[in-house]
Amino acid sequence: MTGNWPLELVLAEMTVLVLLGPLVTGAIQQMKARLQCRQGAGVFQPYRDLVKLFRKGTVQADTASGLFRVVPVFVLAATVAAGALVPVVRVGPAAFPLGDAVMLLGLLALARFLTAIGALDAGGAFGGMGASREMTVAPLVEPVLMMVVFSTAIAAGTTELGALAAHRGSSWMLAWGAPDFLGFAAMLVLLPAETGRIPVDNPDTHLELTMLHEGMLLEHSGPGLGCMLLASHTRQIVTLGLVAALFFPVAPPYGGAAGLLVAAAAFAAKILALAIYLALVESSYAKLRLFRVPQYLGVGFVCALMALALRIL
Amino acid sequence: MSADTVQTLIDDLGALLLFTMILIVAAGQIYRAIYAVAAQSLLIAIAGGILAISTGNPDLWVIAGITLGVKAITLPWVLHWVVRRMDVRREIEPVIPIAATLALAVLIVVVSFQLSASLGPVRQAITGNALPVGIALTLTGVLVMATRKTALTQMVGLFASENGIFFTAMAVTQGMPLIIEIGVILDVILAALVMTIMVLRVRSTVDADIADLDRLRG
Repeated sequence: MTGNWPLELVLAEMTVLVLLGPLVTGAIQQMKARLQCRQGAGVFQPYRDLVKLFRKGTVQADTASGLFRVVPVFVLAATVAAGALVPVVRVGPAAFPLGDAVMLLGLLALARFLTAIGALDAGGAFGGMGASREMTVAPLVEPVLMMVVFSTAIAAGTTELGALAAHRGSSWMLAWGAPDFLGFAAMLVLLPAETGRIPVDNPDTHLELTMLHEGMLLEHSGPGLGCMLLASHTRQIVTLGLVAALFFPVAPPYGGAAGLLVAAAAFAAKILALAIYLALVESSYAKLRLFRVPQYLGVGFVCALMALALRIL
Repeated sequence: MSADTVQTLIDDLGALLLFTMILIVAAGQIYRAIYAVAAQSLLIAIAGGILAISTGNPDLWVIAGITLGVKAITLPWVLHWVVRRMDVRREIEPVIPIAATLALAVLIVVVSFQLSASLGPVRQAITGNALPVGIALTLTGVLVMATRKTALTQMVGLFASENGIFFTAMAVTQGMPLIIEIGVILDVILAALVMTIMVLRVRSTVDADIADLDRLRG
């Protein structure tokens, strides 16, 4: 399916997503700090961290192979490519063949797989443990994400995110049916798991008992670690963008620069709302024990399954 | 309000009711289950208000008000009070793992949608998805009652099950006679009172819980 959105716009959207990713992380961290009565490091701290890391040299374990060095680049590439599929301002299919939501989830899964492979390759104990935990959680999250996407896609008859957004149109709030409520509830349950946050994972800790994602990054250093961090920032904003595209797309009623401006402002507002949700969840819940995680994600699974069942039956 | 709007609203409320039901089934702590059942009763009251506006039946306003006062505020408060008073363990003790209960709940929902889809002409007379949602809520409430060990969590299941019957009754008949609805509410209050007194008495005299009463001692 092709539309009339040119390649330049899609690439610009991708660049904007990658550049804004660290800002979202910074905003969530700043909100968390405020909620915990701390001063906080400011919303631009993730950028400073990235700049610092990219200036440093690399130290590598003796046991690591050549694959370990290229893993960060591949992970970043897969995540950024996933970013190209998320509609920021466009509300229709692109003018050239572009992947759909299934492709997006596949690229994110590929990035996750490569991260785990890299962690195993370095040979560290924590890396292996983090990888095994991440791979335990992933099969619980990814099928549910798929089901949520499909429950929305069935109504529109397409999995292309831009076309989905166009199908919803600008009156998304009134057009919400029963399956949308359940699908959105499933998405809210899944968001912390997919972005690696409390109650499933804790992004701020380096304690061996609690870390999932961070455990896999321990062996990386310098620019490699920078790539991995940038990839996880991008992954977060891509996931939030996916939620926004599935559940509350805003199609400006008119084209041109003004329409693009309205759509961009709406996108910023949506991402901010979801970031506030994540910060609130992180501040008000404790991290779950690893064996409790399947039960928590089970709620999301049941909601997504019901959304799909409501759509079909 | 037009019939379409009412149908959409009842469908949406049905989805939210199912969501609260999932929360009740999945709740690991008794307070969460109580809050979820209170939210569910609130949604039932809202549904009563919507149906009252659409049908112009004043009895439904009364029923919505009673539901709000009794089931969304008073009964959850009583449960809360009993939990604090008894100083019981806050964690729910299921008979089978909660994940298995969730799977059964999904099965119930799918089966009830499938069943009511086969009803055909009967379904035409009913607003939206109210019938399958009501059946699912009722059966899942029974499931919660069957799979919990302590009497308090079984009471939560009873309330949820009763909510399901209430929702179906409101949507199917466009409001039952007021006297029947009030009778049903009184039954629930009575059941809650009896169970509360029993739980407190059993606790204070023999320090046992409901699950310990399934064996006879000679």
